Parts: sequence; structure tokens; C-alpha cells
Amino acid sequence: MTYPIGKFLLIFCFGVLPIMGILLGLRGPAARRQGPIVLAFLAGVIPIISLFIPKLFLADSESGMSPRLDAYLIIVAGFALPLGIVNVIQNNSKRAMRREKGWFYAVVLLFGLFATAAVGLYGAISGEGIGFRPDGSSTPFKWIEDNAFRPLQATMFALLAFFMASAAFRAFRARNTEATILLVAGLIVMTGRVPLLELLASPFPALQPAAASASAWFGKLTEWIMNVPNSAAQSGIIIGAALGAAAMAIRVILGIERSYLGLEKGE
Amino acid sequence: MTLLDRILRIDRRWIFLLVGLSVLIPILIPLGLPISTTAPTQAAFDFIEGLQPGDVVWLSFDYGPSSAPENDPMAEGFMRHCLSKDVKVIVCALYPLGGLGLANSAVARIAAEFPNKKYGVDYVNLGYKDGAEAVMRRLGENIASAFPTDVNGRPVSEFPIFQGVQSLRQIKLVFTVATGLIGEYWITLVNSQFGTPVIVGPTAVSAPKYYAFLSSRQMAGMLGGMKGAAEYEQLLMKRYPPLGEFYESTRGFTAIKGMDAQTGIHLVIILFVVVGNVAFFMHRLRQPRS
Repeated sequence: MTYPIGKFLLIFCFGVLPIMGILLGLRGPAARRQGPIVLAFLAGVIPIISLFIPKLFLADSESGMSPRLDAYLIIVAGFALPLGIVNVIQNNSKRAMRREKGWFYAVVLLFGLFATAAVGLYGAISGEGIGFRPDGSSTPFKWIEDNAFRPLQATMFALLAFFMASAAFRAFRARNTEATILLVAGLIVMTGRVPLLELLASPFPALQPAAASASAWFGKLTEWIMNVPNSAAQSGIIIGAALGAAAMAIRVILGIERSYLGLEKGE
Repeated sequence: MTLLDRILRIDRRWIFLLVGLSVLIPILIPLGLPISTTAPTQAAFDFIEGLQPGDVVWLSFDYGPSSAPENDPMAEGFMRHCLSKDVKVIVCALYPLGGLGLANSAVARIAAEFPNKKYGVDYVNLGYKDGAEAVMRRLGENIASAFPTDVNGRPVSEFPIFQGVQSLRQIKLVFTVATGLIGEYWITLVNSQFGTPVIVGPTAVSAPKYYAFLSSRQMAGMLGGMKGAAEYEQLLMKRYPPLGEFYESTRGFTAIKGMDAQTGIHLVIILFVVVGNVAFFMHRLRQPRS
């Protein structure tokens, strides 16, 4: 008979230990502070050691501690959504009740949130379906998504084009060497990514072959900019960000970084 | 007030009007401008062409309605391409702000175009799951543990498409149509850890970041923004005549149609940048040196 060691260890680490921490924390504030740090240490260390120690209780795809932690993470991520909803309700209801500036928008937001959630939950609980009914027809939730959510999101994003054009006219200036390099590279990429020269030459058939070859040249130059200077800079940024994330992870695992605990100063 | 001052202090509503017209006119009067193919799109197309009938691929809807005009043609083109080649497609959504709705709509549209393809056999929709990184790690070990049921609540073990497919290791390709960070996660988690080839269809704003992953060969190809989607549509039209007829006759939105409007807006922005800089330098030349 084999014992699921990984399961027992996970229950101890993430079930028994937190309960002990809460109980001890009722008596002493120090234990309340130390409990989450111990949990973060275990949650951070288990996936790392499972990579180097391929024992079944650590790394087995079904019963290992590390894959089970991944499954727990999906559940924890699911709880982030209700937390966000609670936060939105708290902030906007306060704004509406205090009649702060823009309170009407807070009311509209809350109405949209509750109306959409109500029809979605009704569809899920009644078995009618959230998006589509069993017969394939659309539900009220789908109607709200198609006729309110999608057009509003698309409109918000489309407005960017207007502000980008206005900002480009007012702020995109060759004030110094760096800005000039950025400006020239930007203009080349904008020209090379679309058939701009063909558009300009379209009323003049005689110019079209020259426009096509010039456009191809701009296209090649654009690809070079993207493949060489852009790729090199992006690699540097990605590697730098990854090293920063690794350093931050080590600080969290070792309990050096504690801001995520939300402790007050001096706690 | 001189002409120069007037240009520099132009009311931004004139700019907005020109931007609006530059988008509206090409939509109302299509120009049919030529589209050249770039290497990342060609690489993506060639990789998909190299798949065999019966292979299973993964399509992840990792974008929302805000970038749908750029991303929808990529996702739909990919599904049309795969189903035309008898390649099986597993669909999921990992983007919380509307990814599932877009996936449902796209699957319904493409299913109507391919009535001979069966749900659960040739394609399946697993729906949305929160926690993208954790979901990808689980998918690398066991698909059913991350998605026990499809979008309609039916157990995935019921579907023949999953025969011989336990995890992402048996998937021949992941195609993520992504805005934000989720596309990057597919590369760093799935390609790097499980070896599954990844193609990303990012928005044009995100595309520069992915060139680093293309250079390091962590991606099999990329469809960058609407331009990439239009290139892909054009390649599909040439290779598959029925799809060519579809793209020529459809009244729906395609990336090829969208490129006309995008060219118009690029022209307006370039003009504004050039005019703004010329006016700026002339203004500086006229100012007395202190």
C-alpha cells in the first residue's frame, strides 16, 4: 500500500499550519506576521525543489506536491475575481452615497455590474446556459455582451486613434538626438507596415511601379529595424525584467519583501 | 497671428475630423491596396501547412473586444486553415475581459462555414479558465485536470478529439491570439517547458516584443497586428481556392478590408508628425537666440 505523502504534506503545510498560525495569532501578533511568511516560503520553495528532486511525492503529474499546488493556484486565482468585485462595489457605492464628483457614473457602473451578473447567474443556475441556450439561441447575457460590452470596449480603444494623432502632432518632435532617432524609426516603420506609397501613387498609374519598389524597400528596412535593433533591445528588457522578477521572488520566499502582507508601519 | 502659429495651435477637433475621415472613407470605398508578406507571417503559415490531417492543435482566445478587429481575423483564419486541412482544433479562452464571448462567437461562425465538421471530433470549445499561468502549467501535465468539462459542461473524456491527447505535450501547435502578457506566458511556460511549438497573433502594439522570441526561435511564427492577419488571409486565399472565394465574397469584416483604413490613418498621422515638426523648426528659427 502506498501512502500519498505529497497530499499529507500539502494538507499539513497549507491546512494545518495556517490554522495553527491563526490560533497562535489570536494570542501573539508576532505569530500573525510569521504565518503568511512561512506559507509564502513553502509555496515558493516546493515548485523549485521539485525541479531538482524528481521524487514522485514532489513532481508526479497527478499526485505530486508541485502539480497540486498549480491546481490550487487556479482556485486561488478564481477568488481574485470576487475580491475585485467586492472592491468595485465598495468604492463605487461610497462614491454614489457621498455624491462625490462623477457619482452618476458610479451608479451606472453598479447597475451594469448587477444587471449583467444577475442574468449570467440566472443562466448558470437555471441550466439555461450563460451565453447560449441548449437549442443554440442567445441568452440575455449574450445580448448584453454583444450590444453593450463589446461596442463599449471597442469604442474606448478606437478613441485612442484620435488622441494618438493629436498627441503625435503636438508632442512627437525632433528636439534632440534620441528623439530624432525615435522619430525617424517611427516614420519608417509606419510607412513600411502599410501600403502607404501605393495609396499615394494610386491616382498616377505611371508612378505605381516605382511606388511598389519603394514600398518593398521600406518593408525590408522595417523588418531590419524590428529584427535587429528592436529585437536586441526587447531581449535586454525581457532578460532584465526576468532577473528582477527572480530577485523579487527570492526576497518574497526568504521573507525579506513583506509589502504584500499589507502590514502597517512598525508591525 | 502668422500661418505658422495657426498650424502650431490648430484646434484638435480638425485633427479628429481628419482621423475620422481617413478611417471612414476607405471603409465606405474599399481601395484594395496590395499587401506584401513578411517573414514572421510566412513562417507561421508554412508551419501550419506542415501539419498532417488528424493532428491536434490548440487555439487560445487571449484577447478582448477592444482589439477584436485586429485579432478576430487571425483566430478565424487559423480555424478555417486547420479545418480545411482536416487538422483538429481545441479552443479555450484565458483572457478574463471578454475572451470567452469572442471564442463562442468565432466557433459558432466557423462551425456554420464547415457544416461537415463535427463538434467534439474535429473541434471543441473548452471555455474560459481563470489564472492563465497556472492553467498552462496544468495543461502541460493533464488537460482534463485544468478543463474537466467543455464550455457546455460535458466531460472532456466524452470527446473523440482527446483520444491520444492527455496534455500539451501531444499537441502539435499552440496558436495564441493575444493582447497583453498571456501570449508571452505561452512561450515562456509552454514552449520552454513542454517543447510545444507556439505561434502568437498579437496586436500591432505588442508585436515588437515578440520579435525577441522569434529571434531566439521560441516561436514558430507570428501574425503581427492587422497587417499580419491580412497577410495570412491573403496566403490562405492563394493556397485554398474555396477560402479565396469566401474572403472575396463575404460581407463581414476581414483584415484585408481593414488594411485600407489602417493605411489611411497611418498617412494622416505621418502627415501630422511631419507638419508639426516642420512648423516647430521654423518657429524655432524665427525666435531670436538668447
